[in-house]
Amino acid sequence: MEHSKRQFLKGCGALLAGVSVYSVTKSPLAENTDTEAQAEIKYAMVHDENICIGCNACVEACREVNHVPEGVTRLKIDRTGPFGEYPEQSYRFNRVSCQHCEAAPCVRVCPTGAAYIDKKTGIVAVHEERCVGCQYCIAACPYQVRFINPETRTADKCDFCQQTQLKQGLAPACVLACPTKALTFGNLKDPDSDLVRLLKSKPTYRSKVDLGTRPKLFHVQIIDGEIML
Amino acid sequence: MSAFHFEGLVWHWPIAIYLFLAGLSAGAVFFAIMLKHFKLAGEAYHSPFVQAAAIIAPITVFGGLGILVFDLTKPLDFWKILVFYNTTSVMSMGVLVLMAYQVALFAWIACIFNKMILQLLGDRLAFVSRMIKWLVKQEAAITGVLVILSISLGAYTGFLLSALIGFPLLNNPVLPLLFLISGLSSGAAATLLGGVLLRGNPNGIEVRFIHGIEIPMILVEIGLIFTFFVGLILSGGQSQVAALNAIGYGFWGWIFWGGVIGVGLTLPLAANLWMKVSADRKFTYVAVTASFSLIGVFLLRNFILYTGQMTGV
Ligand code: SF4
Ligand code: SF4
Ligand code: SF4
Repeated sequence: MEHSKRQFLKGCGALLAGVSVYSVTKSPLAENTDTEAQAEIKYAMVHDENICIGCNACVEACREVNHVPEGVTRLKIDRTGPFGEYPEQSYRFNRVSCQHCEAAPCVRVCPTGAAYIDKKTGIVAVHEERCVGCQYCIAACPYQVRFINPETRTADKCDFCQQTQLKQGLAPACVLACPTKALTFGNLKDPDSDLVRLLKSKPTYRSKVDLGTRPKLFHVQIIDGEIML
Repeated sequence: MSAFHFEGLVWHWPIAIYLFLAGLSAGAVFFAIMLKHFKLAGEAYHSPFVQAAAIIAPITVFGGLGILVFDLTKPLDFWKILVFYNTTSVMSMGVLVLMAYQVALFAWIACIFNKMILQLLGDRLAFVSRMIKWLVKQEAAITGVLVILSISLGAYTGFLLSALIGFPLLNNPVLPLLFLISGLSSGAAATLLGGVLLRGNPNGIEVRFIHGIEIPMILVEIGLIFTFFVGLILSGGQSQVAALNAIGYGFWGWIFWGGVIGVGLTLPLAANLWMKVSADRKFTYVAVTASFSLIGVFLLRNFILYTGQMTGV
């Protein structure tokens, strides 16, 4: 019995050694979750539901600039309503896209570190080469904004135009395309930015904050129309 | 909303089969080890039930892994999961456990059947014989590690789902335990079924031993399912809606009450209690109750996977 106990402990030791090797080889991209503190840029976005007219110009611009195939989209404008009696009818529009969560569930669950938070900008992005298409991130995202791109067969979603517009020093395509300027994009860490000024001048809300994801997509709530519970 | 196609559905039935097979493999190994340790000792390799477990465990774990790989949108990139690790990812941890589990599993099988294998090899492949002899010396360590790994594997399938924070039915601390216990009972059932099919004695000590554990295990499982749903209902809000939707009405309600509770738990429990009184167990009795358990656990995996994804917050 003594002998087998010692044997057993030896085995457990080997198991522990294996686990420590494991933590050394873990994915470097995935570590980004808690090291973004010192970065100078942290991008965020505000969608003003009072100004949005639901024209879908943002959706089309995004599709074109980021080559998003038909059948999937990085961005949706959800319409609810109509509220009130004709001719005083109104609708409500709500932007549904990646919230660029600070504590992103998609990043936490990704087995390969393909879903990661960019240290320099706070953008939640997808490392195309690393993604194996397990769809764990898609199931884990509480905002249901991730999808498999039918062309690349990798997980895809809004990346604040990281690879397209931002690279050229331009604002995201959806922001530029909006005819009523309902979208404001900018750096949360820059007190002089339009974004921070807007956040300080109007009350905003964020979706599903109770899940602890700390989303960086802010909404200015609509003030006319019906009160909804 | 149809039962198998609805908005927000990400993981389909192949994942349910994967969850089922992984749990089954872990359970079969667990019971084979218990049989050897408590009842059979050095004679274990003669037992058709241990033999059945030794066949079932590798096949199911391979099958499960195969399904997992083919369910990726890029199956050929599977190796990336093995190369890149993310310590915060349940899937990453789980794949690691799966790999270690397979190594320990084969080492254990080699130990148990060492006499057969050595006889078969004769003088050929001397290094294999040497390795097996070395493994036999490490048997206690291998067994202990395999027990830990099989329990981890059984619980992992539950943790995989409970990490999905957007779904109250899945993001539930009882789920890993429920999956572990039901996985173990499916392993027990598969071992029994395989054993009698390999002409094991349906009235032998192996069957009596496993059946002896089965009753408390079914009771624990019922208790866990009860805790699971009562917990959801008492937390109110979306959790309550999710729970009542799942077990209330419609297709999945039928699966739950008829399949999981009725066929999977009540019938085997009743049969077991009844068998306590009468004496002889027959082939049909063992095979039928084991099949009921297997069906029940399989339906439970599907039920949780689908109803869980139906109700996001
Ligand atoms: S909204 Fe979804 S995809 Fe975007 S960061 Fe959050 S969890 Fe990830
Ligand atoms: S689908 Fe790709 S990005 Fe998403 S979790 Fe799997 S590997 Fe990571
Ligand atoms: S920021 Fe870029 S990627 Fe995101 S929705 Fe707008 S256009 Fe699309």
